[in-house]
Amino acid sequence: MKYFWSRRDFLFQSGGGISGLALAYLLHKDGLLAAESDACNNAPLGGNPYARKPPHFKPRAKAVISLFMTGGPSHVDTFDPKPALAKYAGEPLTGKGDINVRQGWPGPLMPSPFQFKKYGQSGLEFAEIFPNLGRHADEMAILRSIYARSNDHVQSTYELQSGQIRAGYPSMGAWITYGLGSETSGLPAFVAIPDPRGGPIAGVSNWTAGFMPAAYQGTAFRSSGDPILDLKPPEGLTPEQQRARLDLLAKLNERDLEKYPGDSELAARISSYELAFRMQGCAPRAVDLSNESEVTRKLYGMDEKITEPFGRQCLLARRLVEHGVRFVQVFSGGLGDQNTDTWDAHVDVKTNHSLHAAETDRPIAGLLTDLKARGLLDSTLVVWHGEFGRMPISQRGVGRDHNPGAMAVWMAGAGIKGGLAIGASDEFGLKAEQQVMSVHDLHATILHLLGLQHTKLTYRFNGRDMRLTDVYGELIPQIAS
Amino acid sequence: MTRRTIFASMIWLLAVGWVVSVPSTLSRAQESVSFTRDIQPILQNSCWKCHGEAMQLSKLDLRTLEGALKGGEKGASIVPGKAEDSRLYRRVAGLERPAMPMDGKLTGDQISTIKAWIDQGAHWDVGAEAKAPSVDPAALAALENMEISPEARNYWAFKLPLQAPVPNASADLRNPIDRFLEKTRREKDLKAAPRADRLTLVRRAYMDLIGLPPTPSETEEFLSDNSPEAWGHLIDKLLASPHYGERWGRHWLDVARYADSDGFEQDFDRPNAWLYRDYVVRSFNQDKPYNIFIKEQVAGDELETKSADTMIATGFLRAGPRVHFREKDTPERRFDYLDDVMATIGRGILGLTVQCARCHNHKFDPIPQKDYYSLQAAIFGYVETTYPLVPKEEADAYNKKVAEIDAQIKPLRERIAEIEAPYREKLKAEALRKYPENVQRAVEKPENERTPGEKLLATQVIEGGLNVNGPTVERALTPEHAAERKALNDRIAALQKEKPQPIPVADIVTDGDYRFTPLGPGDDVIGCVKCRIQEAEGTFLHTGPARYQVPPSYFLVRGDPASKGSLMKPGFITVATYGNPATEIPPADGRTSGRRRALAEWLASRENPLAPRVIVNRVWHHHFGRGIVPTLDNFGKMGDPPTHPELLDWLTVEFMNRGWSIKQLHKLMITSEAYQMASAYTDAEDLEKDPQNQYLWRYRPQRLDAEIVRDGILRASGAINLAVGGTPVRPPLPETLIKSTIYNVWKNQDDGPEVWRRSLYVYRKRGMMFPMFEVFDMPDSNFSAGRRSVSTVPTQALTLINNDFVLKQAQLFADRVKKEAGDDPVKQIGLAYRIALTRPPDETELALATDLLGSHALVDLTHVLLNLSEFLYMR
Repeated sequence: MKYFWSRRDFLFQSGGGISGLALAYLLHKDGLLAAESDACNNAPLGGNPYARKPPHFKPRAKAVISLFMTGGPSHVDTFDPKPALAKYAGEPLTGKGDINVRQGWPGPLMPSPFQFKKYGQSGLEFAEIFPNLGRHADEMAILRSIYARSNDHVQSTYELQSGQIRAGYPSMGAWITYGLGSETSGLPAFVAIPDPRGGPIAGVSNWTAGFMPAAYQGTAFRSSGDPILDLKPPEGLTPEQQRARLDLLAKLNERDLEKYPGDSELAARISSYELAFRMQGCAPRAVDLSNESEVTRKLYGMDEKITEPFGRQCLLARRLVEHGVRFVQVFSGGLGDQNTDTWDAHVDVKTNHSLHAAETDRPIAGLLTDLKARGLLDSTLVVWHGEFGRMPISQRGVGRDHNPGAMAVWMAGAGIKGGLAIGASDEFGLKAEQQVMSVHDLHATILHLLGLQHTKLTYRFNGRDMRLTDVYGELIPQIAS
Repeated sequence: MTRRTIFASMIWLLAVGWVVSVPSTLSRAQESVSFTRDIQPILQNSCWKCHGEAMQLSKLDLRTLEGALKGGEKGASIVPGKAEDSRLYRRVAGLERPAMPMDGKLTGDQISTIKAWIDQGAHWDVGAEAKAPSVDPAALAALENMEISPEARNYWAFKLPLQAPVPNASADLRNPIDRFLEKTRREKDLKAAPRADRLTLVRRAYMDLIGLPPTPSETEEFLSDNSPEAWGHLIDKLLASPHYGERWGRHWLDVARYADSDGFEQDFDRPNAWLYRDYVVRSFNQDKPYNIFIKEQVAGDELETKSADTMIATGFLRAGPRVHFREKDTPERRFDYLDDVMATIGRGILGLTVQCARCHNHKFDPIPQKDYYSLQAAIFGYVETTYPLVPKEEADAYNKKVAEIDAQIKPLRERIAEIEAPYREKLKAEALRKYPENVQRAVEKPENERTPGEKLLATQVIEGGLNVNGPTVERALTPEHAAERKALNDRIAALQKEKPQPIPVADIVTDGDYRFTPLGPGDDVIGCVKCRIQEAEGTFLHTGPARYQVPPSYFLVRGDPASKGSLMKPGFITVATYGNPATEIPPADGRTSGRRRALAEWLASRENPLAPRVIVNRVWHHHFGRGIVPTLDNFGKMGDPPTHPELLDWLTVEFMNRGWSIKQLHKLMITSEAYQMASAYTDAEDLEKDPQNQYLWRYRPQRLDAEIVRDGILRASGAINLAVGGTPVRPPLPETLIKSTIYNVWKNQDDGPEVWRRSLYVYRKRGMMFPMFEVFDMPDSNFSAGRRSVSTVPTQALTLINNDFVLKQAQLFADRVKKEAGDDPVKQIGLAYRIALTRPPDETELALATDLLGSHALVDLTHVLLNLSEFLYMR
């Protein structure tokens, strides 16, 4: 072990608490280390793209958990009650301009197959398919007047992620990582947890860094098995063998650096092996749910088949936030059969949304309860959204087509006022109508909660200071103030 | 409070997101405001231009109170009685962005008048709108025309390059490049590094020119050549290698945003895209003059020298991402595609951010919005089609044969439909039973008794809901019908097999009428063919005897396709145009407009101040790790200025004088002393004076590009398959990653020689970048990208220490060393070093490695070598 990580002096020159990763590694190997370890929670040091950067002002949230319901959940069947749909059920939708359907023939107005209930002291109203979430109504602020700009899944997914309906722009998680750096060197700052069924729609471009350096892109974590690609050495390579290799590598790279004194890139390369090695130890522990109590697992619905997968994703999200990950995106909706495995309810909204609500309601409620119990909810923003809403008229009799004109998004945590409905769509939910909000406004507000002024978070590309919010974005006052 | 502190505190308040009111030093509040007297003139002068009769940007119409109350995309603009809540006021007062009006600012007096007017109830005199004049043509003209000042033209990049005399810096420096560099170094008081040793140089040349490290025998060959011409011979040899085009073609493919798939949701395969990739490789290998290279890519279909190769070249224009879903119903997308083409020509060929002028005049460079739309008019004939790569007779014969077979198949299919029809009816009736009662009722009612809503419901269920799939029908058939259907299907299958192999085609761009583009994948509306927006009949590709006409294109106010300004004529970037170049050079056959031809001639002309400088700078960047203009794609004001302007211009003129030959440019640069300087050289004073090495006092080491890392690994293991060209390969990826796609799924090939091709040939899927390339900074293929970013992140280390492919190659590397060097560890170590790093190990390295081999396997050493910083850099 004489040569192992001998650049410790360089690596931890700013007085880093981790006086010996190697030590942590050994302790861990010998099973002496408790589940939580400083080694995995320390922020990376200066001189690399993840170095922590100060926010523009005091943040209210340290972390964001974004719950992305892939496929486009129907706002009028979830968080935006429309009694007028029942009143005018079966009548054509007229007087609202052209109805632009994406698939099939336009149908008449169709009431929600679900009842809506008033929940909590605030009486915030949403569909009965989220009974567990109902207990958190007083913590939730529902935005009912957000619109997207395309009725194409991928274009609107891009918009929700990057503010642009065109490809190649960095996603919000990348912007945030670029703007604030990382709180953890044992884990990536920006993690995506796809639905184990596959997907999401638009694939890995959901967490792209676009035109920014690849360093800022999200890392996909699987919720079971090895969380990251190439995290662990393949079978057949013993830990001793790997250590011997890394020992020699460190030694040779050290000598090489002497030929290029002060070369920060080469120094960073040496430290990148250190970080990789640290991730190799930390990431599996972060995703190891075996330390979680039965009570906690149950809270997330991991005791039932239908809620187990998403419960696992949500519990993993909480653990990652605890470990210092700043932006976690959890996807509901895979890519098997798009009509049943995602929220894309073209064929039958009742069957589709009953299923997906049942899969996610307990886990999300559990996540909110758990975050609160651990004192994390005040510093963690939870956002729930899809890529667009759905039509108030029917499709194929009992389904609904895409509708970018209006969607429902809700937020909780980060000290925002709950029990609140903000903005409104028109009486049928075709279009956002009161306090109309763009996705840029949503992004501006999320950045604001993280202590970032969206107009100041810029990255020079194409001869221009690019922004997540382009030249737009207004804070949503009810959330931001 | 002083003005300054008021301003500062406002900024602060805005920064924390507070709603603030403007300090009311401006007091109109108590006065009664008259609409006609006070407000209408403001609206007329500052608002109606964009929110009036001529156009209603953001769907906002401020001609009437109703319009103002209804508001635009952002909602109501006026809340009577509450100026603070009214967007109209907030925007003109700068409380909300974008502040209005776009082209100026109201006076403080005007702002407070508007505030008072809204606070007093926003009374709107009836009939006022009737008096509103139509849009002032002068205002529209002002929007469309921007004067370019003489100073703007005087900017270095817009002036034609001139060859300054070569400085007499130092008599023993023969290459003019060195004299220019030395002159600057002397001015900056910097001392040049000595020459690098020959081992470093041979590795540098191989990595740089062909992207592969030299083999031990190639290294020997160079070392044993003691002639003064050895270096020149080496460069000639490498430039003649077929692998040179693979390396340098790759740099251009970054500029061309090349990929093998469409991007977006479907991310359809582009089975012919590789033809363009091979065209690029071939062009570099042939040392095609750069001006011709550009002309072929921009207007290969319009040249007198038109050939299959030049047709394939137009793939450059269409290499960007496409949604390919409901294109015909989303005509505004075409403007994004044209923007992609213009941005690529702008950044890639001109080094200008032309696309910044799509919605307004360029904010920093003298590019009026009108130039954008002139350039758009130059490419507006743009349509995508295919081009058969076989002689016409062969193509005709193929089409004839296919049509014959289809004609035979048609009645068979009709008979199948006939058999199935009664079963389908029955099955549909059964399917209907599963619907709610109201739906069943609507469907079962006679058509004339249905309510309007029931009509919609019945139609959508009958047409789109009651689909019965093939297997369901099959199960319902009687044995006789099932047998007949099977026989028919067998017959159809046999006929399909008789069809000849599809003829090879290239994906090209030519002129046509985009409004009549044939249906493409995804254009049909799922479940309702009739729901597709129908367009008029017309001809897609021009055939007739008359000359082809480009469909009209317009100046678009704020880039909005719905806000048309003047009809546009083709043109170029005014500030960079000399003389009066033709904007249309119609070809003799009259099939195309010749506008792209004219554009290509302008781009690739000696009179174009940008294009030749930009390519010379790109080549310099790849050789020296940093452009003379560091921002390769932006020579405008927001780019970085050149560190050696005279050198850049001298090289540019020299390049054109030598027939736009890239290979000659390479040789000129590589035979300079500057290129041969050591990178491992430190001079404390130099380092302090120029820590970034901007003035080239030593050679700048470069991290290898993603593809070259993988190629280097394959080269070291000896497993590399060096076949040149052809269809892309898909090395195996983990199942978990593949699961992230549903369309155009990555089909793993076996890990073996078939996929151990150079990385240039790995399938480039827009929706899923090859993971190893992604971690090593391969750029996003949605934008033209001249300079790759270089990041150093832990995932690179994880890939190199844990990835199956890397470990397998490390093992093959070890096997190879054992086979070639025998059992002696010292020989093994020596060979492994010479393979991986070109040089032998020094004593310490030998001792360390011997120590390792004492207790470990050879693969433990070879794997370490593939991870070394030295392995990952060109130095």
